[in-house]
Amino acid sequence: MIKKHYEQLNETIYTATLSNGLSVTLLPKNEFHKTYGLFTTKYGSIDNQFVPRDGKQLTLVPDGIAHFLEHKMFEKKDGDVFNVFGKLGASANAFTSFTQTSYLFSSTTNVDENIETLLDFVQEPYFTKETVEKEKGIISQEIQMYEDEPDWRLFFGILGNMYPKHPLHIDIAGTVESIKDITAELLHESYNTFYHPSNMNLFIVGKMNPEEMMELIKSNQAKKSFSEVTEIERYFPEETVDDIKPFDSIKMAIKRPKSIIGIKGIGQAPKGKEALVYKTTMDLLLALLVGPTSDNYLRLYDSGVIDDSFSYDFSLERTFHFADIGGDTKDPETFSKVIKEILLTAKMSPELNEDHLVLIKKRMIGQVLQSLNSLEYIANQYSQQSYGEATLFDLVPIIESITLNQIKQVAEEFMQESHMSVFHILPKEDGKE
Amino acid sequence: MSIQLTEGVNLHIMPTEKYKTVRIVMKFRAPLDKETITKRALLSSLIETNSEKYPTQTALRSELSSLFGASFGTSVTKKGKVHILTVSLSVVNEKYLTMSDSILTKSIDFLKEIIFNPNVSDGHFDKATFTREKENLVDYYDSIADDKQTYANLELQKLFFDEASQKIPSIGTKEDLAEITETSLYNYYKKMLQEDQIDVYVLGDINEKQLMTQLKEFPFESRGIIQPELFYKQADFKKMNSKTESQDIKQAKFNLGYTTDIFYLQNNYYAGQLFNGLFGGFPHSKLFVNVREKESLAYYASSSLDTFRGMMIVQTGIDSKKLDQVKEIVTLQLKEMQIGNFTEEDMDQTKQMLKNQLLQSEDNSGAVIERTYSNQLAKNEVIRIEEWMKRIEAVTKEEIIEVANRVKLKATFFLSEEVK
Repeated sequence: MIKKHYEQLNETIYTATLSNGLSVTLLPKNEFHKTYGLFTTKYGSIDNQFVPRDGKQLTLVPDGIAHFLEHKMFEKKDGDVFNVFGKLGASANAFTSFTQTSYLFSSTTNVDENIETLLDFVQEPYFTKETVEKEKGIISQEIQMYEDEPDWRLFFGILGNMYPKHPLHIDIAGTVESIKDITAELLHESYNTFYHPSNMNLFIVGKMNPEEMMELIKSNQAKKSFSEVTEIERYFPEETVDDIKPFDSIKMAIKRPKSIIGIKGIGQAPKGKEALVYKTTMDLLLALLVGPTSDNYLRLYDSGVIDDSFSYDFSLERTFHFADIGGDTKDPETFSKVIKEILLTAKMSPELNEDHLVLIKKRMIGQVLQSLNSLEYIANQYSQQSYGEATLFDLVPIIESITLNQIKQVAEEFMQESHMSVFHILPKEDGKE
Repeated sequence: MSIQLTEGVNLHIMPTEKYKTVRIVMKFRAPLDKETITKRALLSSLIETNSEKYPTQTALRSELSSLFGASFGTSVTKKGKVHILTVSLSVVNEKYLTMSDSILTKSIDFLKEIIFNPNVSDGHFDKATFTREKENLVDYYDSIADDKQTYANLELQKLFFDEASQKIPSIGTKEDLAEITETSLYNYYKKMLQEDQIDVYVLGDINEKQLMTQLKEFPFESRGIIQPELFYKQADFKKMNSKTESQDIKQAKFNLGYTTDIFYLQNNYYAGQLFNGLFGGFPHSKLFVNVREKESLAYYASSSLDTFRGMMIVQTGIDSKKLDQVKEIVTLQLKEMQIGNFTEEDMDQTKQMLKNQLLQSEDNSGAVIERTYSNQLAKNEVIRIEEWMKRIEAVTKEEIIEVANRVKLKATFFLSEEVK
């Protein structure tokens, strides 16, 4: 077990990789009541083409299967795992993203039993034909609920434009049609491929004794046998700049129009710690250009082009990276035109100056420190493991180190018109008021 | 520790080393009145946007950025028969910063500026700011209606309540907004500062003396202490209200509103928590198990309590063809609760979950302040967590059955996805 102390933050992290390949991270915070555990597999909605463990051929699985599997993991022969956690006074949940599936509990009592329950239920699959069929009704309702959420549709609209071939454009839960093809056999195939401990990590934060906790996890894992550690072969279609669809729009039963601009990162993003530096540089660039302290923000807000729903983000995950800027607007055309202009002239922008950068760095450092109050936030950040050895706790010195020149350089490379796309959602005019 | 800054204005200091931040929350409380709800909502947007010293959003946000990204915001809520405007600020504890600035002192100065020196000239709010925030609030009314779950809930409240002030949301209405001018709003703001009951909470690792000295300089005038009635009690009703609406959407929403006699920290409160937990509050509850797990009719089907208004809401997202079946199950499950068709084991599990939920919320500084405030409003004292847990533990099956039998359906709203 490796111990690492972060002096300035007053936090100590313990890590170990077990003999079965599972990576374990512990962060004791004994002034908190609760303990929060997050068990994650690097398997998300984008992993839809792969060579199954024990197989040789690349196979394509139905859209939404990773999320379906997440739902089904909770059902066991003798009932629902929610009840097991419930009796132990814990709340449990799970979520599936583009690149990972995570299972979690949080509790203030019976922590050891809860940890074992978490590890055991995720490592002992149980699917039957009947229960798989029954879940389709529930997930169909979940999919339809999301189809009515305009911000979700806006986000997937821009992803569809930017990634027409890459599975990032596929809704995480799939479609009502695609999940019909999911069977217990297919769930087992995905499970066996991606739920091997060597493809997983466990993060525990909150009240604990780290030595005892690590022993508990080790002895739990030692009781189980797993197949050999092998590299998982995944396949993603190649995409070029020409594949990007510059514009699309849909209509929905809403009153406020919405606009979003996406900028697709082309080629390989940096890896390891450099990836965190790159992401932070991009976050600083966007904050300088259109953040709440920029003149651009004030001008657009005062002219009614943007409102408080305005937001921007840069995502960097396994196989993709992109920026997106969007919000509610009375005039989607103007919104996308003006934002595009700001991005394309970013390098020359008067917003990119030393004083502004100092101000934004202060804000960002403060926000990182504030986020450390939330055990959930820390756990979710850690479990993504997108940046090699570098983590949330390394962020403050990284923010401090980034220079205006680095930001300008990134602006010049990244902000290309041919890499941009726009998506609008407009109100249905025929809708009765 | 609580002290009176002046009559009607109280300061509550909650020292703890648990968090990396200090949180300051100011609560302005007034009796709920249809005439002022929208004004207070618009005020909350205005004071969040700019002030005399920080006349633009960028000026205001730059000050917050220089305070190491202090998060600052305002909000409005209803609790029973009172309306609450909240101003909150959370700032990093200086000891975690290498550049040691007195950012807590500056943050409190910032709050003082925002509250006592708004962007006002010649007896009215700055015209441009006022007009824009008014327009933004109109747009906000539209955008919350675009969220169909919220929309269905707001429509249910309209059907459920008889009083105008209870029917409308805490952020007000378009109609009332149209009447407000930059002058009438400033006049109301002065009245609010003079008459509202104010509570200030400071939670974190702080120097109490220094903090008190600084907060005592806030020019609050003394005001009469009023303890308006907190709980909204439903009159008896004879007829149930139901409404159906169609929109071009994918999933229908079916929401039900019930009257209860479960009020915050009052007699039935603890039994009420168990009733709600067993009926629809948790994944092991009757609604979740029967509507979702057994019949696959919904992704969500849950119940929740408003213990300041004696209301329970059941929310479901369904296929409209299944409406009758869902209705039948919800009705049947409530019957099951009323005849006591639940086990000791179910009760134990619910008690565990409730205690866990409460203890977990104690890890969130915002939630700690909210609980303290609600406690003080309802009881004039803070209930210790151990006491709360003991009361939950002591609830009997008979008490739950009794509470369940006083739950009565008063209104349903159905938002159908079938467009005729």
